[in-house]
Amino acid sequence: MKAETNNERKEMSQGMLAVLFSAPAVLIIAATILVPFGLAVFLSLHKWNLKRPGRERFIGLENYVDWLTDSDFWEPLQTTFTFAIGAVLLIVAVSLLVALLLNENFPGRGLVRALLLVPWAIPSVVNALLWKWLLNPQYGLINALWFELGIITEYQNMLGSMPSVMIWLVIAYSWIHIPLATLLLLSGLQTIPGDIYESAIVDGAGLWQRFRFITLPMLRPMLSIVIIFEMIFALKVFDIIFVLTAGGPANATNVLGWQIYTETFRKLDFGAGSSIAMLLGAITLGLAILFYVFLDKGTEPQ
Amino acid sequence: MKQHARIRLAVIYIGAAIVLLGTIGPFLWLVSSSFQYERQLLNRPPQWLPNPVVLDSYREIFEGAVLGEDSGVPYQSRIFLRSFGNSFIVAGSVAAIAVLVGSYAAYPLARLDFRGRNVLLFGILASRLIPALSLAIPIVLVAKKIGMSDRLVSLVFINLSFILPYVIWLLQSYFKSIPMELEDAGRIDGCSRLQVVHKIILPLSLPGLTSAGILAFLLTWGEFLFALLLSETPASYTSTVVVSLFATDVDVNFVSIITAGVVSVIPPICFALIFQRFIISGLLSGSLKG
Repeated sequence: MKAETNNERKEMSQGMLAVLFSAPAVLIIAATILVPFGLAVFLSLHKWNLKRPGRERFIGLENYVDWLTDSDFWEPLQTTFTFAIGAVLLIVAVSLLVALLLNENFPGRGLVRALLLVPWAIPSVVNALLWKWLLNPQYGLINALWFELGIITEYQNMLGSMPSVMIWLVIAYSWIHIPLATLLLLSGLQTIPGDIYESAIVDGAGLWQRFRFITLPMLRPMLSIVIIFEMIFALKVFDIIFVLTAGGPANATNVLGWQIYTETFRKLDFGAGSSIAMLLGAITLGLAILFYVFLDKGTEPQ
Repeated sequence: MKQHARIRLAVIYIGAAIVLLGTIGPFLWLVSSSFQYERQLLNRPPQWLPNPVVLDSYREIFEGAVLGEDSGVPYQSRIFLRSFGNSFIVAGSVAAIAVLVGSYAAYPLARLDFRGRNVLLFGILASRLIPALSLAIPIVLVAKKIGMSDRLVSLVFINLSFILPYVIWLLQSYFKSIPMELEDAGRIDGCSRLQVVHKIILPLSLPGLTSAGILAFLLTWGEFLFALLLSETPASYTSTVVVSLFATDVDVNFVSIITAGVVSVIPPICFALIFQRFIISGLLSGSLKG
């Protein structure tokens, strides 16, 4: 009996401690995430344009209906998906190759792994500046390289037309995202026990068969995490668009992130901006859950 | 077999060379360009190494703050150094506060047994799923209404809340790795919970705290969306904002733009290379168990 009451008292004090210890963090998070989220929902249900002060009013789901029946939503959505799919494919393909390379034992491996942190540490805005420079129509290194290699006969504006602008945007964006994906996949590879490979070699499995039937299935959980994370990130791309293309040329790179920005902070329509941001959030969350269920299913039974 | 091993190594090194070139090549070209004269940059084929080494644009950036409007130095160069300092203030404050506040929040999640523990952990993590863009709209609106726009303290506060879930997650997984016996020994010696945290958990978690602090610093340093939306004057511009002002201005000469880019990444790149072990372990434990 006595032990029980002691336990109960301990339980109480642990709960109290937990509340006290975590209160500052929870309050900060609540103030800047939960409260704004509530306000964002509120704004999205109102006509709220800063250019017309005093005319704010509740309009229910009208903003949402307007977007869903407007090509200004569907076209950026399509652009966003084109970009995100391209970026995820490129990031996963390259980082898988690099991770496989770094999983081999060779002198100098540590150096290569350390230098991966250089692109990772570069802020997205500086990365955009870097690629703006590399792709410059008169000075750009990529023009110079292509020219010297004889691929082009005169310098081009690679950000001036489709599809080249989308391709370079995907490459530029992926460049700083590949390192983290590589490190994650590498850590996934390192959990695969070496003796599985050894017995596969004894059984006569070739390089491709070992990759296809050992590496890929065993890497699948980590691969799923990387794909989901990269998808979430790519769908809300904004920084690089701001510096590199500003949605252009002719709306070719007008992704939803950019559409939300111009709608809200240039047209000052906070109601419409909030509702399209909610739509993007819902799409992202929905896809993340879908991917999670879909990608995770294949990993359980072996 | 020996032949086979040699081929294997050759393939590996060719691959490694390509990876290295792709990893640091673009950035090295940015650095090289920043030390050249603008007209040299038009050379075909490109001039790989600066000759002579030109420091004009660096001088502009470091002396820009004291040079007047009529010195011919671009506006962005004149405000750059201040923004650089602002980035240090914001990122440094966020890192320090996030580790401090995050440690206390992480401890009960790692060690205490209380009702709602999973709800709390899940809630903290789930808060990161809401896209920043949708939160930015009301945050900017409210900040302007209550006069908190264009202030560094607002940026610290906002960045803090986006970094905290990550720091808490990282620290609670680190705290769990500390043997329970050490804590029990402290309890038997009469330490209160607070003393256990201060005298046992925190000192033993120094590597974890370092990882968390550096990651918080680097993520905040690179933050752009809120830095852009919550600043109105150079007093609160961070370096990413000034870099974006440089990069989107067609009238500024290229070397100045490039130099701003190079200088603004010196701190994060130095940090990343110096603390690479902490960063890699932090990145992996932060996402691995997620």
